[in-house]
Amino acid sequence: MAVVFGSRSTEHDVSIVTAIAAIIKPLELSQKYEVVPVYISKDGCWYSDPLLKDISLFSSGKIDAFLSKQRPVALQFDDGLIILKPGLKNQKIKIDIVFPATHGTHGEDGELMAICEMANVAYVGCDVRSSVIAMDKVLAKQIAEANGIITPKYVSFSRTDFEFDQTHWLNFIEKTLSYPLFVKPAHLGSSIGINRVTNKQELKNAVEVAILYDDKSLVEEAVANLTEVTLPILGNEKLEPALLEEPILHSEDFFDFDTKYLRGGKKGKAQGAKHGSQGYSKVPADLPKDLYKKAETTGLAVYKALGCGGTARVDMLINRKTNVVYFNEVNPLPGSLYSHNWNKAGISNVELVVKLVDLGLQRFASTSALTSTFDTNFLQQF
Amino acid sequence: MISAIISLYSPNYVNVIAYMLQNSEYRVGSYLKWFWRTQNFSNVIRRGTLKKTTPAVALVFGLWLGIILEIAIGLGFIWAWHSRNFTGGWEFGVALIIAYPVIMAHLVVVPLLLGRWLVINPRNYLRVQAAERVFIDHKAVKIAVAGSYGKTTMKELLATVLGEGKNVAATPANKNVGVSHAIFAKNLSGKEDILIIEYGEGAPGDVARFARLTHPSRGVITGVAPAHLDKYKTLEAAGQDIFSLADYLHGKHVYVNDESPAAQAFIKDKYHRYSAAGALGWKVSGIKLAVSTTKFKLSKGKKTLDLSSKLLGRHQVGSLAFAAALGLELGLSREQVTAGIDKTVPFEHRMQPYSLNGAWIIDDTYNGNLEGIRAGTQLLTSLPARRKIYVTPGLVDQGKENQSVHREIGELIAAASPDLVILMQNSVTKYIQAGLNSGKYQGELIIESHPLAFYTNLSEFVAKGDLVMLQNDWPDQYV
Repeated sequence: MAVVFGSRSTEHDVSIVTAIAAIIKPLELSQKYEVVPVYISKDGCWYSDPLLKDISLFSSGKIDAFLSKQRPVALQFDDGLIILKPGLKNQKIKIDIVFPATHGTHGEDGELMAICEMANVAYVGCDVRSSVIAMDKVLAKQIAEANGIITPKYVSFSRTDFEFDQTHWLNFIEKTLSYPLFVKPAHLGSSIGINRVTNKQELKNAVEVAILYDDKSLVEEAVANLTEVTLPILGNEKLEPALLEEPILHSEDFFDFDTKYLRGGKKGKAQGAKHGSQGYSKVPADLPKDLYKKAETTGLAVYKALGCGGTARVDMLINRKTNVVYFNEVNPLPGSLYSHNWNKAGISNVELVVKLVDLGLQRFASTSALTSTFDTNFLQQF
Repeated sequence: MISAIISLYSPNYVNVIAYMLQNSEYRVGSYLKWFWRTQNFSNVIRRGTLKKTTPAVALVFGLWLGIILEIAIGLGFIWAWHSRNFTGGWEFGVALIIAYPVIMAHLVVVPLLLGRWLVINPRNYLRVQAAERVFIDHKAVKIAVAGSYGKTTMKELLATVLGEGKNVAATPANKNVGVSHAIFAKNLSGKEDILIIEYGEGAPGDVARFARLTHPSRGVITGVAPAHLDKYKTLEAAGQDIFSLADYLHGKHVYVNDESPAAQAFIKDKYHRYSAAGALGWKVSGIKLAVSTTKFKLSKGKKTLDLSSKLLGRHQVGSLAFAAALGLELGLSREQVTAGIDKTVPFEHRMQPYSLNGAWIIDDTYNGNLEGIRAGTQLLTSLPARRKIYVTPGLVDQGKENQSVHREIGELIAAASPDLVILMQNSVTKYIQAGLNSGKYQGELIIESHPLAFYTNLSEFVAKGDLVMLQNDWPDQYV
């Protein structure tokens, strides 16, 4: 089993933690798989070595020195996926299944899944199509709306369009939407490049930040009386929700990168909080039973509508005065698999990765049964 | 074969030898047996690590020094052959260098044996002689606790309950052999009201010898089960040794756990029996079991006590009832007894519950007998959980009964119907599996070949709603 992580992404470091702590460790403890770590460096080279399973190689900063002594691997698509390790004698590692652990661009966005599809190898998690949709916040909203799921009012535009006529877009946004607004790069996860704005100057600055990261941006209305919730889900056809999770935030704030990954609590204010996505949220969310059910149903509907498989996490926004649940976005590879939430739902880390692998294999078996070629006499006419 | 030979010359070999000695508690016989049984020294340290104690560090240093000296002597012989034509010097020198792992592994026991014969044994003899006089002269009620299982828990239980109203001293932790009793005696103030002395039997004659040293006035026998059968050979021999405590007391003030099936053959009419039904005339009712507490009512006539303990399981109720009843008999008030029972908590690694990742773990890894397994599997059955997991490597030192004991363990586990059974792979795994099969176990079975990785990463295997029973220990010196 190849666990692929890192990649040319702003979430490169988060991916390393997800891969090593949340995926490789429980996979190896399950004793069901031979795990091959595949690390994609920030410059896009692919490496594979057993030592890449050791988090201290990365946390100590010795990774660059280590990679300088390694030769990148090559991929071969002969009857599945083969990793070619160069050396005195080239080593071929036949991969039976890939566990993508890349967050953000060049991985979670469907690119890695597409390589697996080309190689005709099984892989874990959302497929190419759902990953592409989920990682495009605009496309995801359009599909959700088409399926009758409510989402905050928004405007989207490309970098080229905005740069061509900034004034038009800023005026159009102000005319269409009401402050406060959120400005987001359309394809990035982990809340990178997201800003909350309350006036035109802030809006302009925030859009300029967003287009630095992405060629497509999104501006949407903030939901009033906000309770933000997220729901991790497992499954291909039959879905299994974890517990609705509610970040502990002030009403004017939102989940940014620091809150999620660096400080363990609201921007360092939380004392003794844990690292990562633990310690700053309520699991299960503190909602009335009906509203909890409504949010859970919305999450499952979004997962289905977008065609997710394996696992994904659906983020939702709730107006607590009106009890309206809005779809916000989908994360097709939740950081650290959101295992803290699954643990509280009664699924251990080992069970979680084993279930995900089984789901990946089930989907592969199902898609492999489909006919992919069609015999015709078309060429004989020439 | 090649990797086995290479392991003898690995830089870690010295640590492995020191580790084997440390885990054998520096007993030369069991160390040498382990050494000669071992085929590959790179696979020895699986469950633990070498603890850097003073003796261990001295051993490692001494071994390295010895190896360097031996190689130097070997080189000296080769040099003598080369420059002085010393006949046989080359062959002897090379043999000496090649054989250093085996030679040093044996030479290392010489200082240990000399130390034991010339220092430790004479010193212990003198200590024991002095201790007997202390025990004879001491006016306290002296309660001896013997049995194949549950004796440390009983000792702690009695010390906690009786300590509510009396000045009590008890032998520390599991220090339960003659020399430990002697050290215990040396530290007594003479003002104690009650002494509680645990007897750790290991070979025929041990309990009688401990009784002659400590002169108990009362004796508690917690049960008889297959344990240390490598020395006792039969369960009957183990029972006879344990019940030699009752013989010493001429049957007076002898209290026996009536729930021990193997003890029944040794119980005489004049002994007092205790069980979950009651003790010393007090009757037990209303037992309520939970994952962190055990509650019950104790009554005699119109007198009633509502008791709550953090000791887990129905099998503890008899011991708790006995401790309470004995406390009352020795003059404690009902309030003192109730408070004492309330303070009873599991001894470390003995039915000790803790929460991990939302799951409840019951750590009973110090259990070393079949009755403990019976109690553990019964507790697992009685407690509610989303998923029940049972983990064991099996029992060591089961002698001729090894196969039948482990088959019975498998059947006991099967009867508890856990969702998942994890067996630490070793020589008895196949017998437990046979018991699981004959008990028609329907759940999932995992054979774990890396126990240390499992125990240290337990949090990765459990989630909220899980109940995990961890029983028994399998030190590295056993296969």
